[in-house]
Amino acid sequence: MTSEVGCETCRWVVPSAVAGFPAWMPRLAFRPVAQGARGDVLLVVFLRGAADCLNVVVPHGEPAYYRLRPSLSIPRPDDRQAPSARRAVDLDGFFGVHPALAPLLPAWQAGHWAIVHACGAPDESRSHFQAMELMERGLTDLHGPASGWISRHLASFDTGNVSPLRAVGIGEQVQRSLRGVVPASALQSIADYHLGGDTDSTARLQAALASLYGGDDPLSQVGRETLSVLETLSALEAAGYRPRPEALYPESDFGMGLRQVAALIRADVGLEAAAIDVGGWDTHFGQGGSEGLMAGLLADLGQGLSALHADLVDRIDDLTVVVMTEFGRRAVENASLGTDHGHGGAMFVLGGGVEGGRVHTLWPGLEDGQLFGPGDLAVTIDYRDVLAEICRLRLNNPSVEAIFPDYSPVFRGIVRPRG
Amino acid sequence: MPLERREFLKLASLVAAGATVSACTPVYRMLGEAFDGPTPWLVGDGLTFRALQRMTYGPTLTERQHAATIGLQSWVEEQLAPASIVDLPGELAVRPLTSLSLEAVDLAAWERDDVVAELQRGALLRRVSSRRQLYEVVVEFWTDHFNISIEKGACWFLKTIDDRQVIRRHALGNFRDLLWASAHSPAMLVYLDNQANDRSAPNENYARELLELHTLGVDGGYTQQDVMEMARCLTGWTVRDRFWKGQFVFRPEMHDDGPKRVLRKVIEPAGQAEAEGVLDGLAAHPATARRLARKLVRRFLQLAPSDEEVLVQRAAATFTSSGGEILPMVRLILLDGVLQAPSGLSPKFKRPVHVVASALRMLGAVTHGGGPLQGHLARMGQPLFEWPTPDGPPDDPAAWQTGLFARWEFAYQLARNRIDGTEIDLPSLLETAGAAGPGETFDALANIVLGAPLGDPARREILRVLSKEAEDEAPALFLAGLLASPAFQWR
Repeated sequence: MTSEVGCETCRWVVPSAVAGFPAWMPRLAFRPVAQGARGDVLLVVFLRGAADCLNVVVPHGEPAYYRLRPSLSIPRPDDRQAPSARRAVDLDGFFGVHPALAPLLPAWQAGHWAIVHACGAPDESRSHFQAMELMERGLTDLHGPASGWISRHLASFDTGNVSPLRAVGIGEQVQRSLRGVVPASALQSIADYHLGGDTDSTARLQAALASLYGGDDPLSQVGRETLSVLETLSALEAAGYRPRPEALYPESDFGMGLRQVAALIRADVGLEAAAIDVGGWDTHFGQGGSEGLMAGLLADLGQGLSALHADLVDRIDDLTVVVMTEFGRRAVENASLGTDHGHGGAMFVLGGGVEGGRVHTLWPGLEDGQLFGPGDLAVTIDYRDVLAEICRLRLNNPSVEAIFPDYSPVFRGIVRPRG
Repeated sequence: MPLERREFLKLASLVAAGATVSACTPVYRMLGEAFDGPTPWLVGDGLTFRALQRMTYGPTLTERQHAATIGLQSWVEEQLAPASIVDLPGELAVRPLTSLSLEAVDLAAWERDDVVAELQRGALLRRVSSRRQLYEVVVEFWTDHFNISIEKGACWFLKTIDDRQVIRRHALGNFRDLLWASAHSPAMLVYLDNQANDRSAPNENYARELLELHTLGVDGGYTQQDVMEMARCLTGWTVRDRFWKGQFVFRPEMHDDGPKRVLRKVIEPAGQAEAEGVLDGLAAHPATARRLARKLVRRFLQLAPSDEEVLVQRAAATFTSSGGEILPMVRLILLDGVLQAPSGLSPKFKRPVHVVASALRMLGAVTHGGGPLQGHLARMGQPLFEWPTPDGPPDDPAAWQTGLFARWEFAYQLARNRIDGTEIDLPSLLETAGAAGPGETFDALANIVLGAPLGDPARREILRVLSKEAEDEAPALFLAGLLASPAFQWR
């Protein structure tokens, strides 16, 4: 079937979409290499713009940190000259977290929050766009598969799940990491996911759309997917969603997005992987320290994750959340109270199956001779080590080589095998 | 300012030209047998419609007829001389938006929301109403290339100046002038933090994006060292924030006077002229020519890689030999690319702004361009002047094909006239088209928004489903289905 729609306009759309566009929407290039029971729900939070991880997870035991950042550093946990609300919150005597992340500490204490530091990608372009493209595709260079790494996980591992909500990107469009052969749905708000108007006429329109999007091309697949999401969500919306009372989601896009994810998980509609973005981390100017621009972003991040943790605490053993960013920022601050593009960064892994309450790192140090390139934190753990371990041990996917085809990951003991 | 009589007369003649739509009436009646082969009732062939889809925000019936009459080649030449096109509709549409012509110091005293709303409305209204369609398409290209988000600092009012003095002034001019204007543009310096670039510890943000995004490209041959040295050249390029608020200023006391080396070239201390010298070099660099040529080709065409490479090389050569003139490069891409695409014109996926603008244009909507309409654009993922990162909203179709729901929602709301401040007159459209009964109505609407009627079996199936609607409601639902259809998502 090449064309249900036969108008002149469509005739030249459909065949070329099938034959000529494999580059941007690959046809099924490989069949699932494995089948099995689905593991955790995966949620990937991407901090867009390269978060300054040295101020997120503060190496307060490094004298060089304070020397390199006279204005921006977060005071030591025992620094009596700083008000306690401005000091780093100690984790292990060497690292601490930014005080704005304090709401998330219960997850640390419960062993549900692990931090990986001095991790990242080998790419040295310091270009947001190249770094994100590579990282979301899980590749060392751009010659590899065009699909995203989460999409390859879903494509290579058949869980028998045919839900239209198996993969969801929170936002207007689906994130790069979710694009590929397995359809993923973009979702902004469950409550607004309806066409409005009277049910008779929307039902008729939807029937017409089912016929219009009956083709074999990628867009028709998206169309059919959208229709079935409409159907699934209208049932869900009727039921409504009430988070647990202790789950106080912030009134931000991020907070609202996490709430949608929690609602989908709670409703058991087949969600296996979700992605959500938080922007604004490209803090070249006026980044602030314990307070200011980045502290505000971290407060939103911490409150959001803390609310999700509280909301899903009874399902925490079936959830893995990854927080990542395209690279870290320069160790030395610039003259405009900000930081420039760097290299090594950090990741968070949250969930019931993580080796939590620990900073996992091969810490390279911040002294001269230890810094990388123009003065950046070195990368000692590849981000794919973390992701591959999660895919294998938490998501049950035995074939991580299908996900990261040009990299041999080293497991770092960040998560436990799923029971 | 009241309209002058002369302008009234011009306007009247434009309205009269619009009425030639009714000349199409008899051909609508022939639709029944016209599904296969060339459609005899359409003025011009399918290629005209498709080519116009690339060069406009969706051709109106009048434009289709005009292009068919004078030929596509002449149409391109006409559009490449925007100043010679009388554009009352475009000018009248934005005339109420007084902030668009103000200076920064005056704008700064306005309410932020009003300035932003007028900027966004202005851009959409020009794309919908202006007769200088190709010019507006190129303006959007440069707006994306030199992306600035109004969410950053003082950009909420500085972007209005940048839009007028940088992008619109130089869109079809010389790239070196455009690059210079952008580098001296307070909005750009604020957006990419160069206003705080001080010699004591340079801020690399603008320097990097200048090399990576505005000129050479990430593979263009520069190094991290070049970024850092370019940042030093740009120290002291900043923006006044008191007297003459919002004006560019070079502050020698912030500038690093040491010798520098950018792209293997030694830069002697020369204050503001240091970076300006590098800008000239970047504008003339072969990597810049290739990058701009490729981006422009992709804006207009979706080609097989080998065909694309040939056209990119020719466009880059034209750009370089003309000394960085934009117009000859655009002309070459249109005449030798769009009008003679090697393997026929492959479709390009519409970005959200194209979905909205083309629906409004083709249906002759009356709109103030604001409010809920901008909300629809935001939900589709392309709120105007709000793309946060300096790469600008992507051209890559894959980036836009994963969210259809917001497009359907827009289709359904527009077709039923449920978007405040925007109205389509469906009964008049159908009366003009002389369409009677569900079949003719459906075909007339398909011709307007898709360029051709929908073929069977889709047509039959959709008519069957949608005709169950009460008679007076059916046309709106037909239109919603067509605007939400896969075919309408492509241009």
